[in-house]
Amino acid sequence: MPLGRWPRGSLQSLRSQALPWIAVLLVLGLVRLSKGAAFADLYALISRPFWPGSAQSEWLRSSQRLGADLRLTQLSEDNARLRALLALDQGRGASIAAAVIAREPNGWWQQLLLNKGSLAGVQLGDAVQAPGGLVGLVDQLSVSTATVTLLTDPSSRIGVWVVRTRQHGLLHGVGTSRPVLRFVDKDPLVRPGDVVLTSPASTLVPPNLPVGVVQSVDQRANPTPEAVVQLSAQADAIDWVEILGRSSR
Amino acid sequence: MNGLIRLPVGLASLLLPPLLTLAAPPWLSIVGVGPSWGVLWLLPWALVDGPLSGALGGLALGLLLDGLHPGAVSEWPVLVLLGWWWGQLGRRFPQFGRSFSLGLLAMLGALLLGLSLLLQFGFAHAAGFDPGLSITAGGITPRGWSPSVIALAGLQTLAAQSLITGLLAPVLCSLQLLFWRRQRARQR
Repeated sequence: MPLGRWPRGSLQSLRSQALPWIAVLLVLGLVRLSKGAAFADLYALISRPFWPGSAQSEWLRSSQRLGADLRLTQLSEDNARLRALLALDQGRGASIAAAVIAREPNGWWQQLLLNKGSLAGVQLGDAVQAPGGLVGLVDQLSVSTATVTLLTDPSSRIGVWVVRTRQHGLLHGVGTSRPVLRFVDKDPLVRPGDVVLTSPASTLVPPNLPVGVVQSVDQRANPTPEAVVQLSAQADAIDWVEILGRSSR
Repeated sequence: MNGLIRLPVGLASLLLPPLLTLAAPPWLSIVGVGPSWGVLWLLPWALVDGPLSGALGGLALGLLLDGLHPGAVSEWPVLVLLGWWWGQLGRRFPQFGRSFSLGLLAMLGALLLGLSLLLQFGFAHAAGFDPGLSITAGGITPRGWSPSVIALAGLQTLAAQSLITGLLAPVLCSLQLLFWRRQRARQR
């Protein structure tokens, strides 16, 4: 229908002729309301083959990494300074790589035997880390071997915290593959999936080493809630570990 | 004393249980728990060599095995008693050696050994020696197991170790019995 001419015919034909216009106006109205989002998306779809190459995004990522490294260095220095002020463990000294030469992840004693001992500078109480996280502490030493008591051993107790809620607790080995985390607080607000790290307040282990993930929480445990923790490092599957020397005890 | 301990192979065999305990072959285990290698070694030794040698063998082996583990809990008292008992049995029935009997005796031995460990862990807990992994100048302090840990992990370990020890004994102990009897015969 040409514009400027009054339409002839019945009301029904007038309505049928106007319908396409109404639809077009409606669509344009929606475009207006969405502030052109659909156009932008359409443009992105059409122009995808002409987007900047991967080289530029790599530059961006490397600059982000550089920024993150600088921030990490600064935070580490800050952390060391604050820990020194609080007279807490200074964190890691030199670390020693050691091979697992015997293992007993189940049974009466749950332990690993490593091929490095006091001759290599290992000390009683040194934390032992495997790919994934902390596995235990050095419990017995010889000249060329170190016995590590695993976190699953009933005698093992280490201070940990849940990062998300900043709740501290004591991780008890109970002889099974999943130790139990007993919280200090009555209402720890912890839920399955929360990450558990070694406590920054611990004097036995270096701070913030990954330990595991909360698998289930028993809010009704007495006297404080308990959580079952799935360890992130599996002692029965590791061949090499890192013994974390301690700069001060 | 003209016992097996005077043979070089007898003395050397004493090192096998601790070495096998350390090696802990995973394919010889039930739910990750291996057999009591001490019991598997001591049973044929005591049956062939008598109660005194059995008790002394148990003592020597117990001291060796205790050295592998931290803490004050000990295996030697029960191994001494088992060595003495099995030695008496060997004296009374010189041709003792049926597979079923060997399996049953080994299972009973592993069960008694495990029960003694459980009792010692429980006693250490009840006596208050439960500070966990506390490092002192003198080494690691004794530690105990709470009743819930005994119920949760202790009984499972006890059952699994007794079972695998009893299952392996007919094969391993029969072979050792044969070997030690030949050695005794040669010695005479």
